[in-house]
Amino acid sequence: MGNFIVELENVSKGFPGVKALDHVSLQLRAGEVLALLGENGAGKSTLMKILSGVYTMDEGTMKIFGEMVTEMNPVAAQELGIAIIHQELNMCDHLTVAQNIFLGREVTKKGILSDAEMNQKASEILSSLSMDIDPDTVLGDLSVSKQQMVEIAKALSTNARILIMDEPTSALTSQEIDELFTIINRLKNEGCGIVYISHRLEELQHIVDRVMILRDGQYITSMDFKDTSIQEVIAHMVGREITEKFPRVNRSVGRKIFEVQHLNAGKLVKDISFSLYEGEIVGIAGLMGAGRTETTRAIFGADAKESGTIIIDGEVVEINQPIDAINAGIVLAPENRKKDGLCTKLSIKDNIALPNLDMMVNPLGIVNTKKEEEMTVKAIKNLDIRLANSDVDAESLSGGNQQKVVVGKWLARNSRVVIFDEPTRGIDVGSKVEIYNIMNALKSQGIGVIFVSSEMPEILGISDRILVMADGRITKELDIEEATQDSILAYATQFDKKIHHDIA
Amino acid sequence: MGNKDLGKKMLKVFSKRGMGQVITASVGLVVLVVVFGILNPNFFSSRNVSNLLRQIAPIILIGIGQSYVLITGNIDLSIGSVVGMSCMISATLMTKGMSPWLAVGFTYVAALAMGILNGQLVSKAKLPPFIATLGTMTIARGIAQIVNNNYNTDSIGAGAEGFRELFYYGKTAGLFNTIWIALGLWLVFNFILSKTRTGRHIYAVGSNAHAAHLSGVNIAQTVTKAYLVSAVCAATVGLIMTAISGMGTMDAGTTYELYAVAASVIGGVSTLGGQGILLGTIVGASIWGVLQNGLQFAGAPVAIRNIVIGVIVIISVLLDIVLRANNRKNKKGKAAA
Repeated sequence: MGNFIVELENVSKGFPGVKALDHVSLQLRAGEVLALLGENGAGKSTLMKILSGVYTMDEGTMKIFGEMVTEMNPVAAQELGIAIIHQELNMCDHLTVAQNIFLGREVTKKGILSDAEMNQKASEILSSLSMDIDPDTVLGDLSVSKQQMVEIAKALSTNARILIMDEPTSALTSQEIDELFTIINRLKNEGCGIVYISHRLEELQHIVDRVMILRDGQYITSMDFKDTSIQEVIAHMVGREITEKFPRVNRSVGRKIFEVQHLNAGKLVKDISFSLYEGEIVGIAGLMGAGRTETTRAIFGADAKESGTIIIDGEVVEINQPIDAINAGIVLAPENRKKDGLCTKLSIKDNIALPNLDMMVNPLGIVNTKKEEEMTVKAIKNLDIRLANSDVDAESLSGGNQQKVVVGKWLARNSRVVIFDEPTRGIDVGSKVEIYNIMNALKSQGIGVIFVSSEMPEILGISDRILVMADGRITKELDIEEATQDSILAYATQFDKKIHHDIA
Repeated sequence: MGNKDLGKKMLKVFSKRGMGQVITASVGLVVLVVVFGILNPNFFSSRNVSNLLRQIAPIILIGIGQSYVLITGNIDLSIGSVVGMSCMISATLMTKGMSPWLAVGFTYVAALAMGILNGQLVSKAKLPPFIATLGTMTIARGIAQIVNNNYNTDSIGAGAEGFRELFYYGKTAGLFNTIWIALGLWLVFNFILSKTRTGRHIYAVGSNAHAAHLSGVNIAQTVTKAYLVSAVCAATVGLIMTAISGMGTMDAGTTYELYAVAASVIGGVSTLGGQGILLGTIVGASIWGVLQNGLQFAGAPVAIRNIVIGVIVIISVLLDIVLRANNRKNKKGKAAA
């Protein structure tokens, strides 16, 4: 094997409240495909954004082709021959394919754009990658998978020697994945170094030489792919012992209160069916992009459904928009509390009162401020939200207290089903426990709780039953007794078989 | 094969980004012209046509500036005030005895400074463009008032006759110079927008600033350039105003920033950025001008003119939204099939 073309040493990076990377090192050789693996939030994307100049590191050193690099930004990275295919599409919908491919390094003659030449070159690049795309098409008119192929073509068109692919296959069809792997193998033979990030472990065998595993921002191990197995990789990815204690409440499970039958809504919600019993917490586990949030949104009526039935207390309910769900007794504490959960510029009181105004107005629509005050005071007291007074902006609260407000605004109603989507993301340990306590309290009252989380320890610690999702489907339902981190991750990476095994 | 190629080329012209709306708007323009022509035969008199074109020219100019800024996904509310500021600065300097050409130079420098200020506030200080340019709008109007101690100026005098000829009253090859100025600047700025790297980056920033940044596009520079173009156009209109009346008026150009938005939007420029062509701006400005002129000819009071123009702005954007939604539905249908 050749020399190292990328050497990252002791790289650290922190974001407010989290240490995303903690003294991580990475080496990449020419002619090698390195799979960078880890759970959600392990720090893979952050590390690659540092390598490609999107983020700057807090400490550590970077050598590219043996040369120390101190100043890194997207332009410098491009000049050094580093190209990144981002996880989320990063292109201009209004521009054509060729214009996107050459964005930032347009071909000009005496200051005038030579569109003909760029179209020509783009056409050559695309056909050399066996992509059947007209370079003159407006990008926004292409399907998502075609757009993803264009993004790949764009990265390759820079003649990069170091390629970073962050989940490049998530939007591709099986045939396109085949083509991508052919391209990757060719680039490898031409001496490019490739860092490949994917949750689809079954893909690795077709292309990968070496794997490196990150967990919670730390380097765990790296090994040659041929010396390891998927089981071992999963064990390293999960790795941690669960040391935290989770408050668990035991309650006998009552009758069925809620059922979803054959719910379909877009690509990430496919034929979802499950039931929920009185006094039960059902966890939904899965990796990023598995369709968990989309499922909760579809149930709540925030996104349109294609088909499916929702049943509460044995009766079919028609849910077309959130108000229907609220009236039926289903409430949602959404994933992104700042964007979807709170009106951050309104006071705590206003936020808690907002979904409950129907209960405190007179027939003329005038708000009874006394009732409003009573309700908020009660909610604040019940949830133990610590604040100077209920007139402060929701924005000024800590993450944990904000989350409590998101939850609290629903508790004044007699809801039957409460859905929590990532309720503990980005909040401190103490607040997490308080959120668990709220869930347990609901459970004790006989309310059904749906708990979506990416953190395995908490989902194992709190849930009574766990649904594992991958690719928009429920791949497994696990009783809490049989569920382990390994088994969850194994089912969470069980994707539709998209790849033919006769590749390469 | 030749025929097929030609057909393909024609199709390409029509499928060019933003062309659809330009065509729709052009049809609307033709209809308006025909209707007004029938209502009033004098509408087509050479005198009226010539005046009409001269009336449209300033709207085309401010429309170009606003279109540049809108395509980057921002807005420039200071245009009208920069028109007023330019009018007052040029006229004041001329009444104080400065050579008109030097005064023109100073005027452009002042306007460019305003453009840079706008660009920096929006792209570097990251102020919302609506707020930033609302501020500079008020500042520029204040400058217009302060340069001559809160009075309109006296006549710019006989020494400025050449200046007045060049910007408004003179004719070249049978057309008023104002029209040539608008046409010339349109050609230059259309070329920059469609054929140069700067123009490409202006579209890219408006379409997806994050992606453009990751591709190495300098966002701050690109946005500032757009505001500079807007300032140059506004200054030119300010000079035209000075030439028209032969004096400086403090409230020259009031609400022009909104006419500029109207011209851009009617011509298919998206206020969300990334989309639109300057050909559309000409059509949009022409619709505006023809309506003003035609309704006036037909004896409609100013109030009616305002209402009609407001309705047209709303309809043209609504039409665009409806057409696009339909398009998307069709595409989805095809993809599913």
